[in-house]
Amino acid sequence: MTASRAAASAAGARAEIGRADGALIHVEDLWHTYMAGTPFAEAALRGVTMHVYPGEVVGVIGHTGSGKSTLIQYLNGLLRPARGRVVVAGHEVGRSNAGIEAVRRLVGVAFQDPEDQVFEPLVGDDVAYGPRQLGLAAEELRARVRWAMEAVGLPFDAFKDRYTYTLSGGELRKTALAGVLAMRPQVLVLDEPTSGLDPATRLDVRERLLALRRRDGLTLVLVSHDMDEIAGLADRVYVLHAGAVVASGPPREVFARPDALAPYGLLPPFPTQVCVRLRARGIPVRGDALTIEEAGAAIAAALREAR
Amino acid sequence: MNEFELLRNITIGQYLPVDSYLHRLDPRAKILAAILVIAAVTFTPSLAGNACLLAGGLALVWLGRIPLAYALRGLLPAVPILVFLAVMQLVFFGRNYDPTSPVVFQWRWIVVTGAVLKLVVVSAARFLELLLVTSVFTLSTKTTDLTLGIESLLRPFQRLRVPAHELALVVTIAVRFVPTLALEAERLMKAQASRGARLGGSRWRFISRVRRSLPILVPLVTYALRRGEELIVAMEARAYTGGAGRTAYTVLASRPGDWLAVGAAAVFLAAMLLAPFPA
Repeated sequence: MTASRAAASAAGARAEIGRADGALIHVEDLWHTYMAGTPFAEAALRGVTMHVYPGEVVGVIGHTGSGKSTLIQYLNGLLRPARGRVVVAGHEVGRSNAGIEAVRRLVGVAFQDPEDQVFEPLVGDDVAYGPRQLGLAAEELRARVRWAMEAVGLPFDAFKDRYTYTLSGGELRKTALAGVLAMRPQVLVLDEPTSGLDPATRLDVRERLLALRRRDGLTLVLVSHDMDEIAGLADRVYVLHAGAVVASGPPREVFARPDALAPYGLLPPFPTQVCVRLRARGIPVRGDALTIEEAGAAIAAALREAR
Repeated sequence: MNEFELLRNITIGQYLPVDSYLHRLDPRAKILAAILVIAAVTFTPSLAGNACLLAGGLALVWLGRIPLAYALRGLLPAVPILVFLAVMQLVFFGRNYDPTSPVVFQWRWIVVTGAVLKLVVVSAARFLELLLVTSVFTLSTKTTDLTLGIESLLRPFQRLRVPAHELALVVTIAVRFVPTLALEAERLMKAQASRGARLGGSRWRFISRVRRSLPILVPLVTYALRRGEELIVAMEARAYTGGAGRTAYTVLASRPGDWLAVGAAAVFLAAMLLAPFPA
């Protein structure tokens, strides 16, 4: 068990080193302590190494308190590394003269429950808040707000003059996401982007995120403890536990051995679990299905086989 | 380096769970003692007296087994204000404050007299002493103990229609909300900075500073109101109807040793008031 885990993380580390060259974001051996210098000091990150390449969707999964939310604050320089390195598109975030404004323009972050950051009375004004700080011309500003609102599924003309307090929870979440998107970041970091939304809105948001990646080449970093979501969206995942990366790789590899994740309080996506249990009962289905569609196909194949 | 970690510098309203004489002290005795010490700080204008008070404050920190660096950290956010105040006092008081005092320094219209110099030192020392006392007090007192203590101390005044229980509750909630609001402010600052907000800016451009803080203040106030409402609902859902007829989970029982602290504080205050410190 331990040996296989070590092997997996060693393989992960090799893959990291081999591909680290073209990465947009480098995080190397990053440590973080909360309330440093006070009696409440607590280590949140212990030597995290991760890379984000242009155009990919990276999933970060982990139990509550595993350091996920701390880690993403380093990706746009909200936190500056005191121990370890963070390089975003050539900007050394740890240096005091690093171009932090450029880093924050490059990497947009929407934290958990981002609707709390909506403060303007009108939807359009709130989405425009970020880009307005850039001193854009009115035309360009309007175009950006329109693009961002349409991208998250809020029709510009119907929503720009709506009062934010009249919006539904899902619309408010989309407004907040549009506010980050309107900065036109290259990398979008989302902390639990669909938590607390109804299933239909959840699917809608996922679809729109994938569309942004397909159409605009947006790089995504998704933080979640919803394995099904990560499995369906991410190209690569990092599993965090107690502030350290304990597994990384394509979701199919990481989720393939469900008992490897169990010690970290994580369960593989539901469809994977179904297939793994069917296999355990002696039914020959593929064990590495990640989504409902794949699991369905695997079970159908097994049924055809049986006939 | 970390421009957003607000809570790190707030020592008032935090509780530090260690075991010390001050932590075990009956909250009623501790409140009374704290009031006496604060009175001593307020009524001592002399340099030597403030030196004694500062020593007393440090002794309290030691007695509460609180790391000194942590107790002093609460001072950091106040440093700009303290410096600003000191400069104002030095520049503008001039001869208006105690004209008989000898002039120490003069440059054009800026006149600094010995009295003003003393005033600057004493006000800074007082601030430090107050901060030490209040920090030690909150760091060594659980909020529940604080409520119980205040309520128990105010109970004799209930006949004068002083709402003892309600006042105690208000104080508790206020203290309890300090770290909560600091955390929320921190979260909002980070969220807004992540979508292009430029916070801070020049300290001297007040209007632009206020305008820039709106994206934090508006959601923060909303959050505070929402939290308040949630609290009301939560309390009512648990059948809270105010203080009358309410029994307590912990009943305060003071030992004679607890009142020693009050005695010591009273003696300290008397000594401060009566000691012939050179003016």
